Amino acid sequence: MTNEFKKRIGVYICHCGGNISDVVDVAAVSEAAGNHPNVVLGKDFMFMCSDAGQQMIVDDVKELDLDGLVVASCSPKLHEITFMNVAERAGLNPYEFYHVNIREDASWPHSDDPKGATEKAIRMVNAGIEYVKQTSPLAKIKVSTTKKVLIIGAGISGVRAAVDLARMGIEVVLVESADILGGYTSNIYKTYPEGKTGKEIRDLMVDQLVEYEDKLEMYTSSEVTGVSGYIGNFVVQITNNSTGNVAEKSVGIIIVASGFKSYVPKDGEYGYNTHSNIITLPDFMAHLNKSEYKENLTYNGQKINKIGFIYCVGSRQRNLEAGESGNEYCSRYCCNATVFLTAELQKSFPNLYTYHFYQDIRAYGKNEAYYLQARENGAVFLKYDPYTPLEVNSNNNINVTVADILTEGEKITVPVDLLVLVTGMEARENKRMEELVKITPGLDGFYKESHPKLKPVETGRMGVLLAGTAQSPRDISETLASASASAAKAASLVLRGELMLEPAVAIVNPDLCSNHQKCIPECPTNAIETQNNKSVVNEALCIGCAICTAVCPTEAIQIKTLTTSQIREMIKAMAKS
Amino acid sequence: MTEDYEDYDTLIIGAGIAGIEAALTLGDAGGKVLLVDKSPTVGGIMAQLSKVFPTLDCSACIATPKMASAVYHPNITLSAYSEIEEVVKHEEANFTAKIVQKPKYVEWDDCTGCSLCEMECPVIVSDEFQYHMRGRKAVYIAFDIAVPKKSVIDIDNCIFCGQCEKVCPTSAINFLQKPVLKNVRIKSILLATGFELFDAALKPEFGFGKSKNIITAMQMDRLLAPTRPYNAVLRPSDGKEPGKIAYLYWVGSRDKTVGNELCSQICCMYSIKQSQLILGALPLADVFSFYIDIRAQGKGFEEFYQQARDMGAFFIKGRIMFVDEDENGDVIVKYEDIDDKGKIKEEAFDLVVLAVGLWPSITGISKVFKNVELETDSLGWIKCPLCNPVETNVPGIFAAGCVTGPKDIPDTIVEANAAVSQCLAYIETHKSSM
Repeated sequence: MTNEFKKRIGVYICHCGGNISDVVDVAAVSEAAGNHPNVVLGKDFMFMCSDAGQQMIVDDVKELDLDGLVVASCSPKLHEITFMNVAERAGLNPYEFYHVNIREDASWPHSDDPKGATEKAIRMVNAGIEYVKQTSPLAKIKVSTTKKVLIIGAGISGVRAAVDLARMGIEVVLVESADILGGYTSNIYKTYPEGKTGKEIRDLMVDQLVEYEDKLEMYTSSEVTGVSGYIGNFVVQITNNSTGNVAEKSVGIIIVASGFKSYVPKDGEYGYNTHSNIITLPDFMAHLNKSEYKENLTYNGQKINKIGFIYCVGSRQRNLEAGESGNEYCSRYCCNATVFLTAELQKSFPNLYTYHFYQDIRAYGKNEAYYLQARENGAVFLKYDPYTPLEVNSNNNINVTVADILTEGEKITVPVDLLVLVTGMEARENKRMEELVKITPGLDGFYKESHPKLKPVETGRMGVLLAGTAQSPRDISETLASASASAAKAASLVLRGELMLEPAVAIVNPDLCSNHQKCIPECPTNAIETQNNKSVVNEALCIGCAICTAVCPTEAIQIKTLTTSQIREMIKAMAKS
Repeated sequence: MTEDYEDYDTLIIGAGIAGIEAALTLGDAGGKVLLVDKSPTVGGIMAQLSKVFPTLDCSACIATPKMASAVYHPNITLSAYSEIEEVVKHEEANFTAKIVQKPKYVEWDDCTGCSLCEMECPVIVSDEFQYHMRGRKAVYIAFDIAVPKKSVIDIDNCIFCGQCEKVCPTSAINFLQKPVLKNVRIKSILLATGFELFDAALKPEFGFGKSKNIITAMQMDRLLAPTRPYNAVLRPSDGKEPGKIAYLYWVGSRDKTVGNELCSQICCMYSIKQSQLILGALPLADVFSFYIDIRAQGKGFEEFYQQARDMGAFFIKGRIMFVDEDENGDVIVKYEDIDDKGKIKEEAFDLVVLAVGLWPSITGISKVFKNVELETDSLGWIKCPLCNPVETNVPGIFAAGCVTGPKDIPDTIVEANAAVSQCLAYIETHKSSM
């Protein structure tokens, strides 16, 4: 208790450029904090995270000899580490700091009640002060890292990540459920911008692997069937699906590059499965890949003069029946792929007519060139409204009827010989793998990154990264960029051979532990064992979940960064009127 | 004569978000980085934005910590307010470069960023960081959240009155400062020089310059930012709060008449973002977007677009015929409403925002490469192959972000990290010849 009274705490309230100060009276919050007996000063500032804000804190800590900090700003997810680094630069132990979130928890949800939001912010800051009153210096946990990376999926993203890692001198374990490498790409007819076939791209990528054989362990027809450990030191089991052989590998990082699947339309959706000449874009590409066409394009033995393309099949699904779920997202690649394919077909078959039924042509960036080319060579574009759907009649011949927005909403019926449904990308279901590596899909079904700008390839689980279309729909070049990005992030985590982990782990006070052993069976990572009749925690395995603290009858086991006593005092501060 | 060289693993040219992100990942991986920018602050365009799509995070909240981390990182050396004079590629797979630090006329080691000089300076010139919507002094700090937060003197506009010198508490002002030349030896180079905004005056039918109430989207982003020039969204001619705002998409993109038929990839999205922000800041305002196609292709973008529609933003498919100002300062827009049978309509708006496109800014930097030529496409974007979207035609030189073509911030950040793996791999595989 004597220690508490020595604490000299600085409290900093951030305006977040109006995000907070437009609602919360930040001056009142800093003034209220300043009245606390342990608080030496309370200040508010436009952007506490800016260089000037950070420097202000550093200067104050040094000048006023502060030994505790409270910063009330945005979510700790954004800036807890920023301010811990500030504390460290000021010569303070970074764990003598508490981050209070008065943006997401006060100003944003209570924008209709500035007075209430201010009152809430004051109480939250008081709770933060109570927390810091009981902190003591902590050290990060140093763990060595295995300079080896597991990549799940050997489509082009997995292969690219493997090549990049190998070139950086890092060993790779590559696991693929199919019996060959390269994934979906070889199904693609031709790829923009260079016109190479999908198979050529696939070969180009896979051939590079051969150069780095010495750094590579490859498991085809195999799946990951076990994952244990933590960032820097995972142990994974890989099972061969045909032989049943199991290999066990130690890796530092796991990259998930498990790809996507193509949307398959429901029976009758735009006439799908009602006529043999109504097919999906992947079907059409497979058909084009199969045979060489000289003068005429044929399908099912029939000469094809007119092709219709319906865009956004399985994407941007807004007009749904009640209770029906659909894909609201845009699949990104399909417009580009279709206008490029059209431009290529026009080169081979100058007399081919193409009709494009679309919502918006998203030939973004440089891909606009293919859209222009297709139009200049006679492709006809008809814009439909998603709420006035197209009618596809496939009794004998295929007729598509559209209320074309571009021609005053006039109903136009277009007879076509072949109707191609431009299907989008969907997330692959892979529950078992998700559970093993502990990653979660977002609302759109694709795996969620931690933050699209701050941590674009990281997931919620430390040490597990994402690459390619497992994360979101992308084209080839974007897929390869994201794979290289994951490789870089993995390298930054393993190249130095060691990592510093947060000390948010359990610790046992042996004086209080009476060997009830209630904590041991509850621990989800088997991090606790008994030594000399006392519980002992393996810090590298502990994930800081605090289940043990909840079951301990004597409060002997505590999370270092959030003790029961701290929680108690914080609740008191919150409840105090 | 022997020259002294400083050694680095990677030279990053441009300290916008691409350069900063790459520097941080490289530095974390143990690489020694020299980060160079012509501006007195790092952060580039992103540091000047209001909020960013599709998450509506405040841009400064994401950019400033990265800016500060880059400047304090033990493996990163920043050379701000500097120009690359020349880069030479050598046989043994590495490069040398000459970098000139322009005179700031302020000793940065002594400058505390207190702004007293700025307050005292009697010279007012147009502020390029606020896109000319307000003035700055001849001695100035680039913007409120600049990193490093240090003053520079704009010597072309300085009248040498000496006021700043008198008031500076640390005697940091030094009118005798000379350019400093630095010779460096590096193993790989990352180009992250970004883009330039299309000059809206080149499209006279949209009226930019004709009326004060026709502004660019970058100016609107400044009006919406926390460090904004008027501390409110006001129209520039008379300070009126705009009740009816029009966005004209594709200004300087998808337009043969200005020499850029391609799409700038981000204008639809930033306009949608601004629409949402305006609907929040001015609840009574109506926002109309005139578009050709809404290109909302990234992760979460389509959902973000639909959210704007649900919030009450209006979207009208149609091209603009002309834009003009009436006697009240309102802006008359004549347009084709394709959704309404292609009727030609005329409507008055309080404020018109031009969604200007992105253009390449590579011309300057290309010239510094003395014995290699960087391949660009016909518009001037750096050309990269499909199979390695961050690799230039010159081994050892990589490119990330908008220098290779227009793109949004999430894609830029991914590319920056992708370029890091290529730099590290290049260095590792050429170790023996370096």
